[in-house]
Amino acid sequence: MLFRRIYQFLIVYCLGLACLLGIKKVLTLSDYVIPGVPLILETAGRVSQGYLFDVFNTLSVTILGQVISIIMAFTVGILGRKSSWAGSFIKVMAYNIQAYPIVALAPIIFILLGDGFISRLLIASMICYFPLLLSVLGVMAAPVKDIEHFYIATGRMRWQLEVKIRAFENLSKLTTVIAGSATLAMAGTIVAEFIAANAGIGYSIRIALYQSDLAGILVALFIIGIVISIYQGMLETLGDQVKTKWFAPKGGELL
Amino acid sequence: MRVNGSYRQWLATMTALGIFFLSASVQAGTIHLNYRLKWLFNTSVAGDIFAADQGYFTAVGLEVTVKEGSPEKNAIKELELGYADFGVASADQVIRALDKGADVVVLAQLFQVNPMQWIYRADQPEIKKLSDLQGRHIGITFGGNDETVMKTLLAKSGLAGEDVKLSGVRFDFAPFLKKQVDIWPVYLNSQGVILQDKLSREGETVYFFNPSDFGVNFVANSIVTSGKMVKNHPDRIKLFLGALLDAWEAAMDPANEAAVLRVVKKKDKGTRDDIQQKQLTATRKLIKPDRTVRIGRMDVAAWKQTETIMLNEGQIKSPVNIESRLAGPDSF
Repeated sequence: MLFRRIYQFLIVYCLGLACLLGIKKVLTLSDYVIPGVPLILETAGRVSQGYLFDVFNTLSVTILGQVISIIMAFTVGILGRKSSWAGSFIKVMAYNIQAYPIVALAPIIFILLGDGFISRLLIASMICYFPLLLSVLGVMAAPVKDIEHFYIATGRMRWQLEVKIRAFENLSKLTTVIAGSATLAMAGTIVAEFIAANAGIGYSIRIALYQSDLAGILVALFIIGIVISIYQGMLETLGDQVKTKWFAPKGGELL
Repeated sequence: MRVNGSYRQWLATMTALGIFFLSASVQAGTIHLNYRLKWLFNTSVAGDIFAADQGYFTAVGLEVTVKEGSPEKNAIKELELGYADFGVASADQVIRALDKGADVVVLAQLFQVNPMQWIYRADQPEIKKLSDLQGRHIGITFGGNDETVMKTLLAKSGLAGEDVKLSGVRFDFAPFLKKQVDIWPVYLNSQGVILQDKLSREGETVYFFNPSDFGVNFVANSIVTSGKMVKNHPDRIKLFLGALLDAWEAAMDPANEAAVLRVVKKKDKGTRDDIQQKQLTATRKLIKPDRTVRIGRMDVAAWKQTETIMLNEGQIKSPVNIESRLAGPDSF
C-alpha cells in the first residue's frame, strides 16, 4: 500500500513535470517562466533540506489538526445521529461553513489569534473537519436494520452497540474518508501558512513565489507529495489492520 | 412587387454587410495591446488608469487593456508567454528574470524614489544614521525586496544580526499597531498614508525611514516589454510609451488632481476620498520629485546599485549587465 502510494505519486509528478518541460521546449521559454532540469536540480540541492524540515513542521500541524477533526467529527456525529433535527442542523451548518472560502476566513483568524501555531491548527482542522463530519454523520445516522432489529427486539440495544454496528458495517468507507482527509488537512495547513503564517512549507512557497522561483516551488511540491503519500499510505495500512482485526477477532478467520 | 421586395431585401443585406466590413476594417486599423500592472488598481497607478480612461491610447490608434497585477500575476512571465505586450515590474523582478535568461527590456522608470520604506512612531528616537537601527525591532517581508534592502542597510551600518530583531510581516498591521514591532515596512504612497492617518487619529505622529537617504537606491517599478517587441514593433512602443508617459505627466500635474481622483475612484471604490487625495500627493513626490524631472527617466546608477545589491545578497548568480537592458523613453 505504502509503496504503491509513493510510486503513484512519482508517476503523477513526473507526468506533470514532463508536461511543463514540454511546454518550455515548444514555446522556447526561459528558466524564469519554467525552469529547466539543471536549474531544478541545482535548486533542489540548495533548498531540499530546509524544505524537508518545513514539510515536517507542516505535517506535525496536519496530524494534530486531523486527530482533532476526527475526534470532533465522531463526537458530533455520534451525538447528532439520533435526533433528526440536530442531525439536519449540523449538516446544514457544515455545508454552509464549508461554502466559505478559507482564504476569506483565514485573515480574520490570523488577526484574532496571530500568526502562530494555533491559527494554523485551527485552519487545518476546519478544512479537514467538515467533510469528515458529513461522512461520519451519514454513517452514524443510517440504521443497519437487518442487524439492529435483532438487538432492539431482544432489548439488548445500547448506544455503544449501535455505534459499533454502524461503524463496523461502514468500516471501509470510514477508513477511506479518514485517509483521504489527511490530504485535506495538509492542504489546509499549507493554505494557512501561505496566507499569513511565519513557518511551514506554505510560508516557504510564498517566499519562492515572491522571488518568482518556480524551481523552488516544484521542489516543495515534490517533497510535500512524497511526505503526504507516505503519511496516507501509513494511514491506509493502519486502516487495513483495523479492518483485519475487526473482521477476524480473537484468532478467527478473516471472512 | 415581388421583385421590388426582393431587391429591398438584397439592398438591406448588402448595406448590413457593408457596415459590418467597414467597422471590421476600422477595427483592424486599431492595434490591441495588453498592459499588465504590478499591483491592484489604486492611486499609485493613477497615470496608468488615467491613460486608459481619458483616451490617451485611443488617440494614437491603440486599444490597450490595462490589467491589475498581484504576486501571482507576473508581467515579465506574461510578456514571454504572449499574454501581455507591456507590463510593470520592479527592478528586482527584471534583474532576476535576466539572470534566468528572460528577454526583457526596460522602457521607463516610473518611480524615481522607491516607495518601499519603513514607518515608525515619532516617540522613538529618529533614525539619523544607520547605527540608530541598533536595538530596534524591525519588520521585513521574508523573500520580499524589503528584506534585501534591510540586509544591505544592516551590512552597510556594520550592525550584526544580534544588534537588531527582525520579524516577518504580513498583510495586517496589528503587530505594528500593538507596538510589538517598532519599524514596519510599507509602501509610502499606499499603506504609509493609511497607517499615518490611523495613527494620527490616535494622536500619534510618525517618521518614515527611507533607505535612499542612507545611500541604498533600490529601483522600484518600471515599464517593461519583451526584446521581441523592441525588435519587431518599435513603432508600437513609441506610440504606447508616448501616450502612457503623457498621461502620467498629466496625472501628476496638481492642476488635474480632481479629474485624476475621479478616474481612480472608478477603479478603487473601497478607499476613502481623503486617503486617496493624500495617496496621490505622496505618489506625485515619488514619480516626479521636482518639476525638472521628466517622468520615466532612468536612474542608471540606481539600477547598477540594485544589481550589485542582488549579486551581493546571492539573489542572482552572475552579473546581468543591467544597463544594456535599459532602453529609456528616448530610444524610440
